[in-house]
Amino acid sequence: MSMESHLLPRRGRLWAWTTQHFPPPPPYSGPAGKDFVPFGVGFVELGDDVRVESRLTTADPDALSTGMEMQLVVVPFRTDDEGNEVVTFAFEPVA
Amino acid sequence: MDVAIVGVGLHPFGRFPGVSGIDMGAVAVRRALADAGVEWRDIQFAFAGSYEVDNPDAVVALLGLTGIPFTNVYNGCATAASALTHAANTIRLGEYDLGIAIGMDKHLPGAFNADPRLYACPSWYGEVGQFITTKFFGMKINKYMEDHGISQSTLAKVAAKGYRNGALNENAFRRKPLSEEEILASPILNYPLTQYMFCSPDEGAAAVVLCKAENAHRYTDKPIYLRASNVRTRRLGAFEVHSPWLPIEETPGPTVDASRAAYEVAGIGPEDVDVIQLQDTDAGAEVIHLAENGFCADGDQEKLVADGALEIGGSLPVNTDGGLIANGEPIGASGLRQVHEIALQLRGQAGERQVPGKPRVGYTQLYGAPGTAGVSILSL
Repeated sequence: MSMESHLLPRRGRLWAWTTQHFPPPPPYSGPAGKDFVPFGVGFVELGDDVRVESRLTTADPDALSTGMEMQLVVVPFRTDDEGNEVVTFAFEPVA
Repeated sequence: MDVAIVGVGLHPFGRFPGVSGIDMGAVAVRRALADAGVEWRDIQFAFAGSYEVDNPDAVVALLGLTGIPFTNVYNGCATAASALTHAANTIRLGEYDLGIAIGMDKHLPGAFNADPRLYACPSWYGEVGQFITTKFFGMKINKYMEDHGISQSTLAKVAAKGYRNGALNENAFRRKPLSEEEILASPILNYPLTQYMFCSPDEGAAAVVLCKAENAHRYTDKPIYLRASNVRTRRLGAFEVHSPWLPIEETPGPTVDASRAAYEVAGIGPEDVDVIQLQDTDAGAEVIHLAENGFCADGDQEKLVADGALEIGGSLPVNTDGGLIANGEPIGASGLRQVHEIALQLRGQAGERQVPGKPRVGYTQLYGAPGTAGVSILSL
């Protein structure tokens, strides 16, 4: 099977979503215990290409609704053992 | 060749410090054997399922070393459906006349976890906290509620029914009724699902003795015929747990596929079913599965639940023993617990939780990661 690169749009529509209010079990490596911050999770539909599952920048149900426009951002995720900031991707509502 | 269930046995579900998974499996087997009026030495083959017990076949150490072929199966939350299906097929092949399907498990509290790579998922998916089943259930029901007009209070009513039915079941893990208000007031785990809308992994075992149908009356005057038992896995486009991405074009999930296959094989339709067991990992899953298994149209659940249709005395009695919400989920045993309850209901032995009107046809459905479903149809 031949494979080729395909550039996906950075913006899309929220297709399904929920919130994560407790620290996931390992191998989750982000802040846990008292440092845990609930996060949103959802599928964002990128044009006619694909739906990708991603963290969302908010876990407030009032700030999320299906069909809203979302954009890709890079956000701080955790600090590693050597004090370096580790980042990940997320989608945020387009203001 | 037709297959009959002539004995069912259960080790209660819950938490049993100091009792091993194998010990619980042996208890369930002995109860199933006693129910069928046979001895372990009469059993010609076995299939057993477990997640936590490496070798469920080691239960022979407690039952007797009779040298029978004994196959261990594991298929996620559909493990018991696989054990039952293969046990039935072994009889259908004509290879043996009398066998047993067994399930046992002993989980630690808390959501299941695993290495995402074992599920063909990338490791980053787990590191960032997305490799968790509960948030899939939250997403699926949240979307379903928007698409089909289901309210959060309906989810609470479904969970309350589970606890209420569990209170009538001496083998259940959770036997304290909880009100709709208490369920809604418990902490949100994955919006819109609150803590008391979820089942818990726990401990327990179940076993089912099967035989060639023409021999059934040697063992019981009320055989339960296994009319169909089908397992399916997800197809491309199904909205499934542990999916870092999905294609745009949607396909029905494995429950729909397993259900249609089972109805076809059994020659029985959803309108013929009198008592139902559905995978209620969470209250939302029960609502969705009611439609996925053909018992109502999408969106009808709001009214059905409000009208009490899913109650023991309702037109579509679902999870009469409390389901997973009240029994918890020892993965290997969960589906055989469903068959155990259907057998009691069809025999008229379900006591305080007996469905009125002499039910004749029962239905069971399992669903779980990574997109596997099992359905069985049973009848008098």
